[in-house]
Parts: sequence; C-alpha cells; structure tokens
Amino acid sequence: MELEEFREGLDAWLDEHEAELTPGGGVHSVEEEMAHLAAVRRQLYDAGWARYGWPERVGGYGGTGLMRAYLGEALTARDIVQPGFYSMPEVLAPTMIDFAPAELAAEMVPRLLSGEETWCQGFSEPGTGSNLANLGCRATKTGDGWLVNGQKVWTSLSQFAQRCVLLTRTGDLESAHRGITALFVDMDSPGISIRPIMTMHGHDEFSEVFFDDVLVPFERTLGEENKGWSIAMDLLPYERSSSLWHRAALLVRRLDQLLEAARPGSLDPRRVGEVAQLVWSFRAQSRASQRRLDAGGKLGPETSIDKLLLGMAEQAVFDLAAEGLAAEIAVGDRPEDQRWRSEFLYSRAATIYGGTAEIQRNIVARRLLDLGSDR
Amino acid sequence: MDAADLELFERSLSHALAEHEGAALDASLVELGWHDALELEPRTAVATLFELQGSTPATSGALDAVLAAAGGLDPSTCVVLPAAGTSSAPGSLDGTRLTVDGLAGAGYDEAGELWVPAADEAGGHVAIRLPAAALSSVRIEGMDPSMRLRSVTGTVELEPADGVGVDLDFASLLAAGRLAISHELIGASRAMLELARAHALERVQFGVPISSFQAVRHRLADALVATESASSVLDAAWGEDSAFAAELAKSCTGRSARLAAGHCQQVLAGMGFTAEHPYHHYFRRVLVADQLFGSSAQLTRQMGAELLERGGLPQLFPL
Repeated sequence: MELEEFREGLDAWLDEHEAELTPGGGVHSVEEEMAHLAAVRRQLYDAGWARYGWPERVGGYGGTGLMRAYLGEALTARDIVQPGFYSMPEVLAPTMIDFAPAELAAEMVPRLLSGEETWCQGFSEPGTGSNLANLGCRATKTGDGWLVNGQKVWTSLSQFAQRCVLLTRTGDLESAHRGITALFVDMDSPGISIRPIMTMHGHDEFSEVFFDDVLVPFERTLGEENKGWSIAMDLLPYERSSSLWHRAALLVRRLDQLLEAARPGSLDPRRVGEVAQLVWSFRAQSRASQRRLDAGGKLGPETSIDKLLLGMAEQAVFDLAAEGLAAEIAVGDRPEDQRWRSEFLYSRAATIYGGTAEIQRNIVARRLLDLGSDR
Repeated sequence: MDAADLELFERSLSHALAEHEGAALDASLVELGWHDALELEPRTAVATLFELQGSTPATSGALDAVLAAAGGLDPSTCVVLPAAGTSSAPGSLDGTRLTVDGLAGAGYDEAGELWVPAADEAGGHVAIRLPAAALSSVRIEGMDPSMRLRSVTGTVELEPADGVGVDLDFASLLAAGRLAISHELIGASRAMLELARAHALERVQFGVPISSFQAVRHRLADALVATESASSVLDAAWGEDSAFAAELAKSCTGRSARLAAGHCQQVLAGMGFTAEHPYHHYFRRVLVADQLFGSSAQLTRQMGAELLERGGLPQLFPL
C-alpha cells in the first residue's frame, strides 16, 4: 500500500471510529491513560492500521515507515492519544527487530504493537545520565544465565511493563562503552522491585527499578555480548524519528487550540508569530529526517538538531500558553486548565529528557561542525 | 537534472559569480542556460543560484527573471520591488494616476523598461509597463552597495488609450521573490558559519584552539540549528505552493540569518570586526536581504496577527 492510500483509508476509518477512541477531556492518571492506550492499540492492530510500516517477520504488513509516522500524527491531531507514551514502541520495536533472535522478535513484537504488552527501556542509572559509558548495573554469567544486580532510574512505564530492554555492565569496570550488553528481561522475574517517582506535573510515569539477583536466560541477549553500546547508539536516532514527528503534531494541535482559547488581547502578535515559526521549523526539520530515512538513509547525529528544536518549540508553545491562559494555568481547576498546567510543567523537561540540550549542542559541535574534541 | 548535472551546473554558476559582475554576469547566466533551467526546473534553478549569490556574495539581475516568470510578465524587463521593509505593491493606481515608491534590483541597468506592480482601486493588482525614464531613480549605497539597488519613485499620468496594465497575481510574484531571497539568506548564513568555524579551529588561546571551548561550540551549534531548520522550512515551502508558506520561509530565513550573524561575529571577535575580514560582506548582505519583500520582524508580527485573527493554524508540511 502506498502512503497516500494509507492516509486516505486511515482518515476514513478514524472519522468513523473517532468517538469510541477518544478519551474524555482533562487530565488522566497514568493508569487511565495506559488502559486507554492499550484499548486504542488493540483496535488499531485488529483493523490493521498499526501493522503497516513494520516488517512481515514481526507480524507487520510491510510498507514505508512514513505510515507509522502518519498514524501517530493522525491520532495526536485528533486528541486520541498523547504522543509521549504512544510513541515508545517506535524506539523499542526497531531494537528488537534489529538485534533480538528472529523467533524472539516474531513472538514479542506483535504483543507490543497490539497493546497486549507494555515495554520499558532500562538505560539511565543514578550515576549514568548523559555519560552512558559509566553504566554500573552488572550482569554476571552463571550456569543458568545472566545474573543481574544493580539499579536503573527514570525508567518510563516500568510499573506497567511486562518486558524491559536493559543495558548491563558485562565487562570489567574499565571497559567503559566496550563492556555493555543489552538484555530482554521479563519484568515479573523474581528480584525486580519498582519504586515509582512522582513528577512535578503530577504523574508517576517513571520509576527507580532495582535488580537483586535477577536471572535472565542467555537466549534473551540482544545482539552480541559486550556490544550493547552499538545497540544504544543505533536506537537513539529512532527516538528522534517518528516519535519527534508525533510530538510536532501535538505542538501544532496545542498551539492551534491555544489561539482559540487564549483570552482576547492577551497574546502579542509578534510572540505568536515567533512561536508558530518555531513549531513549523521543528515540523519541517522532522519531516526532512522522516523523508531521508524513508529514502534509505540512516539517521545519525544530525537528528540532534531535531531534538534541540523539539525543546525550543515545546517550551515556546507552553510559555505562550502561560501568557494567553495565565490565570487558568496558575489558579484554574477546570479539566482543560489542569491539562494546560500539566503540559506546561511537562514542557520544562523537553530540554532535559532524551539527552539534554547541552549534550545535543556538544554532538552538533563535534559531529556536524567537526570542531574536534572539547577536552 | 541528475546529481552529476546539478554539480556541474552549480560549479559553473559559482565560477560565473566569482569572475563576473553586472552585464557580463547576466550574459554568462544566459550562456550557462540558467534561464532555461528556470523554465524547466524553477526550484533547482532558483535554489542553486540564489544560495550561491548569498555565499559568494554576489548580485546578478536574475531576480527580475524570477519575478517576471512568477507574474507571467515579459522577462526582458526590470520588475520594481516593494519598498524596503514592506510587502505591498510598489505602485498604487488612482484612476489613471500611478504613484510609485519601490526598489529596483541589479537588472535595472540593462533594462530600458520597468514593470511596476500596482494595487488598483478595486483591491486587485495590475502590472504596468513603463519606460525606465518615466520614473526617477537613485542608486542606493546603503548597508550593502554590492546589491546595486535603486530607489524608484514618481507619479505618472497614464494615457487612457494605453489601458492600465495587465492583470497581475501579485501574491505569486511576492512568493517567488521571497523564496529566492530566502535562498540567498541561507547561502550567506552558511558562509558566515564556515568563516567562524575556520577561525575557531585556527585561533589559539590558553594553548588550545578556541573551538575547544564549550561557550564557543554552543554558539556555533545554535547558528547551525537555526540555519538548518530555516533551510528545512524553505524546502518544505517549495512543496506547498502557497503564499503563506513563502512568507513563513522568508521570515524564518531572515531571522535565522540574523541569529547566525550574531553568533558568528562573536566567535570571529576582533577579526570579524575588521574590514579586511570577509565577514562584514555577508552581514551586510543579510541585513539588506532581510528588508526585501518584508522583513523578518514585520512578517513575524503580521503572521502572528493573521493567526490570532483566524484563531488557529493552517495545515502545513504534510509528510
């Protein structure tokens, strides 16, 4: 199927099913949002839409990845899903497809795409934020498999997850980025405990995860032993492909809604123009990345530009909301006020998660401008 | 054009812009087939030439051909541009009386006649053809004399027998001019960034190149982000075929070029402040190009007012 045919078919299907797919207004707890998301995924999978753009060997229907980008855009533009949680398979599924044993990928990926399961990504640790090579969570070889001990943090949705793509230290302490191995871990394994972290916008969407003598079979190794670094590097650009396109769709929608909702006279035309330009700049840049990927290119360090633009555009939109809906955000308690407030607070993290704006500028300087080492 | 053709085309144009100016440059564009390319592959022709005009920096009379093609006008004639910092037609028509306040580009020198885009009383636009001598014209030195702009002003009583011009799609003419100048701004931005990058790698302080300092690196990174994202907007705007998208592209490229100029000048420090260093030629080009067909400041405010008025965003840039 071509993209145009997919777009028309999906739009018609969504026109028909929009009412039953759309959640009620206002802010939802993470539990409610996850339950809604699972139901939406199930319907999209059964109707086939969630299977386009994924390879047939993992239950997909094939076709261009642009279909996945458009699916998330269409769902976001209709306020059916929030791109944050919705887009997570865009990172996790490609990792499995590229690095898991073929039978494991074929068995597991359909569960993720159909909403039957939620997966999480165990990368960050208390001492390992931007510096992934400092990873400490250890996996030791035993006769029965890998024995994992250590801690992860900022692990999104881990309390809902059945599986985790986990980075572990398998080399010696000095091995840095060379001694890392990726494992696919069942979250109901004995020895895993989870402590959710409440964020400033009132969501317990991520957690600390503790591993205490957790046994993981060798067949659950992703890629080669001690080659986990390249898996992490390969999947980072995925975080900035269709997921960012979905995020741009959210910003377009929220700015559009802000222009309608703002108190008359509260917005300065020059500021509105600047923010709209930033949002369209982000969308145009992300569109160029999508098209490059679709043309067979590989995404690399240039996607740091996309991530920087996301941070700028997202904070600009919600800073503008804080001008046009100042009282609503500060002291309003209607459901729509709560949503603006929640998203305003969440936007503060846009220059932090997925690699801080400073780290992205370092990448742009070293890899794109070729300015050499900064040390 | 395939990749090899495009490379050759670009190399030939680059050579022509470096070697010639004025009438000789325009003759060489004809010889290199740029006008044929404008007809067959307008986007490639405009993007390639105008980015090079920005990065050299150089000026040809090609803008007239771009505007004439967009407005369906005779290409051998100079087209009068909106006055600096404005977007409205340079002419206004009151009965048979035409009042003109606009700019003419480098093509003026060779054209004996002018097309004056003018707003008529009915709210539409016409293009009126006049002998160049019918209006007074003064060469502008200004910030960037190398752009060879002129101010063109005057009031002309048209002969009713001649009619009052031909119908003109002024929005399309404006959009074509904005896309072309946007490419010039991107070309100038990339050239400034390259100058600043080279300087940062060469200049040693405290025993290391200043390119190793994060404060310097982050300025250059911000300049690159602004330039690349504006360039992506410009690319996407070509696919939209809408006046609004061209307005967006012009305001984004103007703003990003000013931002890149600021960061690059700070990195170039004392060197970039001298007349010996080429930086100031690009800075001048950016400041003047930003004033053509509406400045980034004016377009940004206008766009914001339009969006507030409509209470929402138009759909732009589908996959």
